[in-house]
Amino acid sequence: MYEIWLTLNILFELGLQYLPEVIGTALLWAMLMLFAATRPGVGWRQGLVPAIAVGAIVTVISFLVTPGMTKSSFANMGYWVDWMNLFFYAAAFGAVAAALAWPIAASMYRTA
Amino acid sequence: MSDKSEACPSAAPANGRRRFLLGASALPAIAGAGLTLAGAPAHAALKTSAHIVIAGSGLGGLAIAARLSRGLDGAKITVIDRKEIHNYQPGYTLVATGIWPVDKVSDRNVDLMPAGVEWVREMVAEFDPVANAVVTDSGRRIEYDYLVVATGLHLDYAQIEGMDVAAIGSNGLGSVYPGPAAAEATWHAMDSFRRKGGSALMTLPATPLKCAGAPLKMTFMVVDRLKQAGTRGASNIAFHSALDNIFSVPRINDEVLRRWAELDIPVTFNSKLVAVDIGARRATVANPEGERREIGYDFIHVVPPMRAPDAVMNSPLPWQQGGFAAGGWLEVDPGTLRHRRFPNVFGLGDINGTGKGKTAATIKKSAPLVAQNLIDVIAGREPSQHFDGYTSCPLLIREGSALLVEFDYDNRLTPSLPMIDPLQDSYFAWIMKYRLLKPAYMAVLKGRV
Ligand SMILES: Cc1cc2nc3c(=O)[nH]c(=O)nc-3n(C[C@H](O)[C@H](O)[C@H](O)COP(=O)(O)OP(=O)(O)OC[C@H]3O[C@@H](n4cnc5c(N)ncnc54)[C@H](O)[C@@H]3O)c2cc1C
Repeated sequence: MYEIWLTLNILFELGLQYLPEVIGTALLWAMLMLFAATRPGVGWRQGLVPAIAVGAIVTVISFLVTPGMTKSSFANMGYWVDWMNLFFYAAAFGAVAAALAWPIAASMYRTA
Repeated sequence: MSDKSEACPSAAPANGRRRFLLGASALPAIAGAGLTLAGAPAHAALKTSAHIVIAGSGLGGLAIAARLSRGLDGAKITVIDRKEIHNYQPGYTLVATGIWPVDKVSDRNVDLMPAGVEWVREMVAEFDPVANAVVTDSGRRIEYDYLVVATGLHLDYAQIEGMDVAAIGSNGLGSVYPGPAAAEATWHAMDSFRRKGGSALMTLPATPLKCAGAPLKMTFMVVDRLKQAGTRGASNIAFHSALDNIFSVPRINDEVLRRWAELDIPVTFNSKLVAVDIGARRATVANPEGERREIGYDFIHVVPPMRAPDAVMNSPLPWQQGGFAAGGWLEVDPGTLRHRRFPNVFGLGDINGTGKGKTAATIKKSAPLVAQNLIDVIAGREPSQHFDGYTSCPLLIREGSALLVEFDYDNRLTPSLPMIDPLQDSYFAWIMKYRLLKPAYMAVLKGRV
């Protein structure tokens, strides 16, 4: 329980450190969602597959570039905890990318 | 070059996109691996009209002020400290080894002071626990019902003959401890040393230290920087410890010595830095018998002896006998962190005369506990919380990798999560130090975790 509380607090403090970027991304996502939601015949379901594909690609790219971006390298992956962390890092970027891609892809699958 | 005198550097002009990516990259690491220390269950605030004085507004002082202002209803809380700039000290080793820019470690204290707390911008000159009062350096007498001593410690460079803190950065002189400017200057000295290589002298005094891992981190990082510059072969690194070990936890001590043997870093035990001739780049070390020996160097890392600040040292508050008496460390019960002779006094952070625990991580675990114990005492109960001495230190071993070392009073290794291997070179431990510890520190300081 405490670990979850601590994690949330660290996320919150990190968010404060990068506030303009966090707000910018959230606003962009909200605008994309609003744009898509207000258009008739948007293919939310069909948009899921390309959004997930974008998320997967971003996950792979993030997985490859994150060690270098954090002044480390793959040579420093000592044990499975390190690999697991790196994977979760990368997956978070992937999730953000998928969330941004979804309304765009959904708009492109309009049926009306 | 003390913490107090340094101006707050301007905000980092970092590349926004890169910053965001780096920041966001931390999120799943936490979600995936988690971190842990003591929890702080929510309680209804205790009604009281007590006046609580907190001496010191470092991490300990601010964390306890935040917690008490939430945990007590009607109390008057006074924080005494002249310091205007709050420095994130765990970042100093990153600055001093060229990993972080210096502007990442400083914040304005006024932005961190909890609402509703009275801040007296003076220093405590005198503690009078018999009369339940402190006297500030302007002569103002402030009476209290309860006192929390969180003054941190004093870096006693004066014990090293010839040492001049203002000269850090010049003539191969490095010392990570005094503040951000010294950390940055230490990096400049290390950076110019690594270009050519030569002899590095790394030191460790005999007193208790804040972040006792810092001298070890600096040593590992000198090696790494030399290797990166291609000058390791032309260099030698010697470590002189005033003790018969380099770290108080035997398993960590042995592990680091094993690694240093592999890295060709010879260690001389019972060899204390007593003097330095900065211009001539010569250091004098002495053994316990008092025999002195001069050593030439191209780069030296000076770690000062540490003790309690004068105001505490010259008061009735320190240990009167035993190993902590000489340094003037606060006489607290190691379990409750309550003063052993003055029951309305508690200690928090580096000032405590306890067997372990001069790290920010210690405050993370002990601040909630001290707050609760003080609330218990105000409510007329015995302290309910017991501290196990938790201390932690991500030990940088090279750029990109660290060991996440956690232990308690009994030298037991106490990883926050069972999957963490404290003796394993780790990217996860690196990320903790490089990106996640400052956010965690800020959450501690605000009294939330
Ligand atoms: C180089 C370095 C590396 C570190 N690395 C780590 C790490 O990796 N992990 C970790 O957990 N910890 C680390 N630490 C340790 C950590 O930063 C300290 O343990 C922690 O900041 C101590 O907090 P404190 O509140 O006890 O003292 P401080 O933060 O030093 O604050 C003490 C305050 O008391 C004030 N004060 C002093 N005398 C008086 C007086 N007479 N009256 C009023 N106020 C007074 C001072 O002005 C100061 O503001 C490191 C420290 C250093 C220096």
